[in-house]
Amino acid sequence: MKYLVVIISLAFTSFGFSQEVKKTMTSKILTSAICGDCEERIEGSLNYMKGIVFAELDLDTKVVTVKYKTKKVSLKEVKKAITEIGYDADDMKANAKALNALPSCCKPNGKSCPPKKKN
Amino acid sequence: MKNLGLILCCLLLYFSAQGQVKGVVFGSDRKSKEVLYGAKVKLLKGKIGAITSEDGRFELILPKELPDTMVVTAIGYESDTIVVTKDDRFIAFEIILYSDQLLPEVIIQAKRDDHSISRLKILYVENLGSGELKKAACCNLSESFETNASVDVNITDAVSGAKKIHMMGLDGVYTQIQMENIPYLKGLESSFGLNSMPGTWIESIQITKGSGNVVNGYESMAGLVNIELKKPKEMEAVFLNAYTNRFGRAEVNMNSGFDLTKRLSTGWFVHGSTTPTIVDENSDGFRDIPTGTNFAVANRYKFDGKKMEAQYGFNAYLDNKTGGQTGFRQGKVSDLYGVALDSKHIDVFVKTGFFFKKPLRSLGVVYNAKYQTLDAQFGNRQFIGEEKRGYVNAIYDGIIGNSSHKFKTGGSVVISDLKQVLDSVDASRFEVIPGMFGEYTYTGPRLSLVTGVRGDYHSIYGPQVSPRLHARYSVSEYADFRIALGKGWRVPNYLIDNISLAATSRSWVAVDTVLPEISWNMGGSFVQRFRFLNRKASLSVDFYHTQFENQMLIDRDADPSKVVFSNLSGRSYSNSFQAEMSVSPIKNLEVRLAYKWLEVRAEYGGVLQQKVMVPRHRGFANIGYETRDLRWKYDITCSVFGKSRLPIAQISSNEFTSGEQNTSSVYAMLSAQVTHVYRRWEFYLGGENLGNVRQQNPIIQSEDPFGNYFDATRIWGPVVGWNVYAGLRFSIKQKKRNEEKKKSS
Repeated sequence: MKYLVVIISLAFTSFGFSQEVKKTMTSKILTSAICGDCEERIEGSLNYMKGIVFAELDLDTKVVTVKYKTKKVSLKEVKKAITEIGYDADDMKANAKALNALPSCCKPNGKSCPPKKKN
Repeated sequence: MKNLGLILCCLLLYFSAQGQVKGVVFGSDRKSKEVLYGAKVKLLKGKIGAITSEDGRFELILPKELPDTMVVTAIGYESDTIVVTKDDRFIAFEIILYSDQLLPEVIIQAKRDDHSISRLKILYVENLGSGELKKAACCNLSESFETNASVDVNITDAVSGAKKIHMMGLDGVYTQIQMENIPYLKGLESSFGLNSMPGTWIESIQITKGSGNVVNGYESMAGLVNIELKKPKEMEAVFLNAYTNRFGRAEVNMNSGFDLTKRLSTGWFVHGSTTPTIVDENSDGFRDIPTGTNFAVANRYKFDGKKMEAQYGFNAYLDNKTGGQTGFRQGKVSDLYGVALDSKHIDVFVKTGFFFKKPLRSLGVVYNAKYQTLDAQFGNRQFIGEEKRGYVNAIYDGIIGNSSHKFKTGGSVVISDLKQVLDSVDASRFEVIPGMFGEYTYTGPRLSLVTGVRGDYHSIYGPQVSPRLHARYSVSEYADFRIALGKGWRVPNYLIDNISLAATSRSWVAVDTVLPEISWNMGGSFVQRFRFLNRKASLSVDFYHTQFENQMLIDRDADPSKVVFSNLSGRSYSNSFQAEMSVSPIKNLEVRLAYKWLEVRAEYGGVLQQKVMVPRHRGFANIGYETRDLRWKYDITCSVFGKSRLPIAQISSNEFTSGEQNTSSVYAMLSAQVTHVYRRWEFYLGGENLGNVRQQNPIIQSEDPFGNYFDATRIWGPVVGWNVYAGLRFSIKQKKRNEEKKKSS
């Protein structure tokens, strides 16, 4: 009998957990990154943001995959962070000031920065 | 005459006709097909691209180098690639991209490898990038090869701390080392030079097995190692590195690169290190690691003009080391055995490059001057060395018809005044070596080759001709087959090349006439790339054979009380086989495994046998992992050394080493490192020789260093045990100039 209670209560706790909002989420955000420099800039800045587990940008699709702790940061905040360094994030437009500060090769319709030597 | 001009014009036109490709890009999902506006079309090699217009059309001028890969991308659609060849000129493509919702989601990722073998190069070139170099945080060039299987680094004696590289089992003197294509670490630096180049200065290292190309000299007999320093434009604005280890070694590095004007940029490099603590963990009364200080500085400039480009700079260092018995102090008279090394070096270089009106033609001239002194004391033996060296190399680059046929031609002059005296033996030499070379490169779709020949005239030894041939054949998109064949030669400096052998009571038997060493090297390699667990993987296999026509043979087997130097009379050759595999079983984890088999034989003591201290089997494993947020890096390297033959040594008046004692034991060196990356800071903690492997009694008769049987050169394993180090790096990147601002200013 005792065991049954334990089992039931255990079952409830696990049930309870699954009802909560997921602790971490993985989202994909479409950015306006165009070259390796942009990749470095976006990954470099997101990976040091509080609450972000990792951020990986795929240049071919321009999609940044972000895994983050929902308690500490929201998707909107992540997107805002991207716009603040000068890139579009899904429907949010890049911060004009930050965009202007980007080297011209990283701006939209730029020719993409010269690739770094493969060293 | 008029007609001739016309014909010439036509010819020029013909050759410069590059052709173009046109096309329309469509997007397709299940139901419909429509033209795509704003799709990107890019040529990978040609580095040009276009964006489709509203009616989906694009037009690209084809570069000369074909075939090229054309990549077509559009948001919401699967990317596609098309190989464009010469036959596709003036052809219109119809490209259909399929909606990415039609296909299961595929994430395409490209990763830059820190350790890679270039696919495009005709020569088999291994590249060690800065990521790879950071895997072994300490300290100088000799450690840079620790995570690499092709180059071995060996300690040459137990007292001076000297390290030498080995390629294909052959001594480092047969590998030409160059710094940005200028011959480097030659002459007086052949024994201690590796320690003089701080690791943090290095941007990348290229390792070529076999004879290199003819442009940079005749001395690459077993291999060619090129070191690229950090470039003023690309290096950090501020870089600081501090390092310390268990043995009390402390090291500080500072680099800084910045623009002086719009066209001129500069880079500064400063290095200081000291090993103040006397360590004697095996209690033989000798320092396990030499103590001393080292200071190095370099400054370089780069000028980018419209028609010319120039680089110039200097590099200088002071190195002072003390080894030997723990009580020994430099400058103090005592009856203790001591090793004292004092080296001063300054090196100046200028490189100029001129571009011509016609594309793909340029003239490059390299000037280099070096002055060095090296004073070394090994017990009672005294070495005095001084080197003055001047070097000029001019290279003209051009094409024949089109860029599939390139050539290089030019000439070089080396003037070298090398003074080297060991006790009463004087092997000083003044030499002037003018040379000329020509090289032709053919680049085809599958077969590419470089063939060249150089002729040099040595003021003492007369003319030498060295032909070279390298070819690459692409068996498939993922497999390359390469062959290399070539002759190399050098004039040995047997005193300084073997100065470590002064750390023994064995007497040196010098040769009466020094003759140039000549070798032929031939070999081939096969590189196959494949997908393993859906990630990039590669397998490479190579085999090289080196045959000496003449060699300065160092015979330690002929007589246990002597080291005999002689010119080769019988055979001397080396066979080297290496297989290397690199896989990535899970994301961000890279595993590299290598096996090497070495057969380095010559007539030692009248018998054709394996060279001493060259293990026949050699294994290597490296595992690197990086967390997905790129903030933690883990790295483990394990090197296994098989048994090697040791020379017979005399232990006392009637006792000689025998049987087992004349073979080294199998041992493994394990090292590991963790790096934590912050925005500007990096912290690293690592360990070397974690298995605490030590050669027992590295010094024979250490209790009687001036006796008849003392020998600190019978060394095959590590002298010091485990080591732990920690350090940090701080870097601020250079701000990229905003091009628009540049225009307005």
